[in-house]
Amino acid sequence: MMLLSLLLIPLAASGLIAITRRRALMELLHAVASMATLGTGAAIVAQVWNGAILTAAGDLFRVDALSALMVAIITFLGAIAALYAVGYIRAELDDAHLSRARLFFTLFHLFIFTMLVAVTTDNLGVMWIAIEGTTLATVFLVNLRQTRTSLEAAYKYLILSSVGIALAFIGTALLYYAGAAKAGEISVNWSALRAAAGSLNAEAVRLAFVFIVIGYGTKAGLAPMHTWLPDAHSEAPAPISALMSGVLLNVGLYAMIRFKTVVDAAVGPEFAARLLIGIGLFSVLVAAAFLVRQRNYKRMLAYSSVEHIGIICLGLGFGGYWGLLGALLHMVNHALSKSLLFILSGNILIKYHSAEIREVRGLLHGAPWTGGLFLAGMFALIGLPPFAPFISEFIIFRAGFENHPWAAATGVILLVVVFGGMLASLNRMLYGEPPADLPRGDALRVWLVPLAANFALLLVLGLTLPSSLVVALEQVLKILGV
Amino acid sequence: MSVEVLSKTVNLLSFAALGLTILLIVRTSLVGQVRVFALQSFVLASLSVLIALYSASLELFGVGVALVAIKGVVIPRVLNRAVAKIGLQRVAAPYLGTAPALIICGLLTIVAFYVMAPIAASNPLPTADAIPLAFAGVLIGFFIMVNRRRAVTQILGFLMLENAIFLLALLATYGVPFIVEMGVFLDVLVAVLIMEVFVYHIKDNFDSIDVGELGNLKE
Repeated sequence: MMLLSLLLIPLAASGLIAITRRRALMELLHAVASMATLGTGAAIVAQVWNGAILTAAGDLFRVDALSALMVAIITFLGAIAALYAVGYIRAELDDAHLSRARLFFTLFHLFIFTMLVAVTTDNLGVMWIAIEGTTLATVFLVNLRQTRTSLEAAYKYLILSSVGIALAFIGTALLYYAGAAKAGEISVNWSALRAAAGSLNAEAVRLAFVFIVIGYGTKAGLAPMHTWLPDAHSEAPAPISALMSGVLLNVGLYAMIRFKTVVDAAVGPEFAARLLIGIGLFSVLVAAAFLVRQRNYKRMLAYSSVEHIGIICLGLGFGGYWGLLGALLHMVNHALSKSLLFILSGNILIKYHSAEIREVRGLLHGAPWTGGLFLAGMFALIGLPPFAPFISEFIIFRAGFENHPWAAATGVILLVVVFGGMLASLNRMLYGEPPADLPRGDALRVWLVPLAANFALLLVLGLTLPSSLVVALEQVLKILGV
Repeated sequence: MSVEVLSKTVNLLSFAALGLTILLIVRTSLVGQVRVFALQSFVLASLSVLIALYSASLELFGVGVALVAIKGVVIPRVLNRAVAKIGLQRVAAPYLGTAPALIICGLLTIVAFYVMAPIAASNPLPTADAIPLAFAGVLIGFFIMVNRRRAVTQILGFLMLENAIFLLALLATYGVPFIVEMGVFLDVLVAVLIMEVFVYHIKDNFDSIDVGELGNLKE
């Protein structure tokens, strides 16, 4: 029941907002729905991490510890972005553009809905439909500004993601074939596939996983299928960029992780590990090349997402207790820090009216709160202590040096390159003289308050590893076969 | 219906579907290309109905009917409307001309047989022989998308790719479950409708639907 309401709240909100006329009502519905989604999500996560497994609609929906982790990320960051979105949309779209504001809030909740379906369903096919749904729900959001560049970004995003996801369908069908041919009876549930994994046709499973990595890897933003990502993430409105980078990429990864559990059980862990380490390393490499001298701060954050998804893939590939634990932690940490930074990038954009790094001068002086938070967020993102990403990256590479020293060493070197490149860009933005005609003070200052939650979590997870979280993550690790 | 008859008919229809994919490269009129796609959807629908009769599956029969309705009638109409509205009859020159493109199709078909033959051989279903043909359709559909400049023809490439994937799933497993297949059709329909909107936007903004013009977002 609770599980169904988690899905129905955003869906109903989306429908209701679509028929409202007044802005105040729209915003009220939006805020209430976001908080209700967060509350329901928290209740579900608490239950599941206490050992329960929730199911709904027969065997269509099933939430285990891994799904619960995703529900936690989606509902928490969804709520943060939702609160900021109210202020941001007020600043960007005045009452003359009310219909676009309505479109934004409608699609916002539809987007949350599709992501929640993707991570709570037990059925491979429904998951595929929902992940394609995330593309369809966000494509108009990417084009919300309706400029030539946003149009271009949205079209590329739509075409490339649709093709990618189509390839993922081949993988799904092949695995389905491997499962159905064996069991005789048709079963496309994760639980059933896991149980039958030992006896699946190995050839079909290997080929299926290649398609899955290419297909869902496109959604996760892995190189070389990442080319849509910097465009879409930089053109989308800030709250949506925050969700696309922080949350949607993780949904793509989630799909890969689910398939990986079946593949590991069917053909041994070595096959998936090699594939993931290769593609992870390549993603970090490509991101590093574009981060060395990036001219646009939103694109910089987008390429940094490619880098971090690559690091998470490395963790998944290195495997073992520490590799997987690091990967899961890094999913959370990257989501927290990247959504924070993308929201702040919205503030910078409203203040300076440009996404070019060279146009942004003296951020610390011109907009102290935004600048200070941006500085701290960037420190977290590039992996400086005491913030949490430092811990998870440390754990991942610790696992890497144990069993894949060369890959781990290459990864660390690339990380240093990224570190230097991003620090230089940050430097150019923070200092210098702000443009003379720029009024001092932060845009949307009160709307930044929810970001305190991101910060608190980044610090807590960086300074201590709460034992309740480790217990929860160990339940996830058990699902991953450790 | 005996197994041999089914197997032969399935091979024949799958071959026809692949032939239609390749025909898309040769046709230059947009209306003609939309017709090729509609025809291919009908071929695939008759294949599903055939297999539905053989395996006595009501679900698969329903899939065939929905396929005709969505991909055989509704989507071709949407595309024809778009073609009429943007007032464009001919296909712009793709990056690679017809002759080299056909050679690449041949090569991709060989690759498809090389990759898929072992998998098909281990599949006990009587439809499995045609799996490499379906996979060739996937690769060629992918190639068509990459090779095209105009938004409308890219959408056609995407739809051919979708059809090939449908065929692959149909041959390998008698299709995925009904509810999933319906969801997939719905997604494809919505995707095409959104793409149509974008074709108009691109036309308005760039005064052309050559996606080669979309080059503002660069490093």
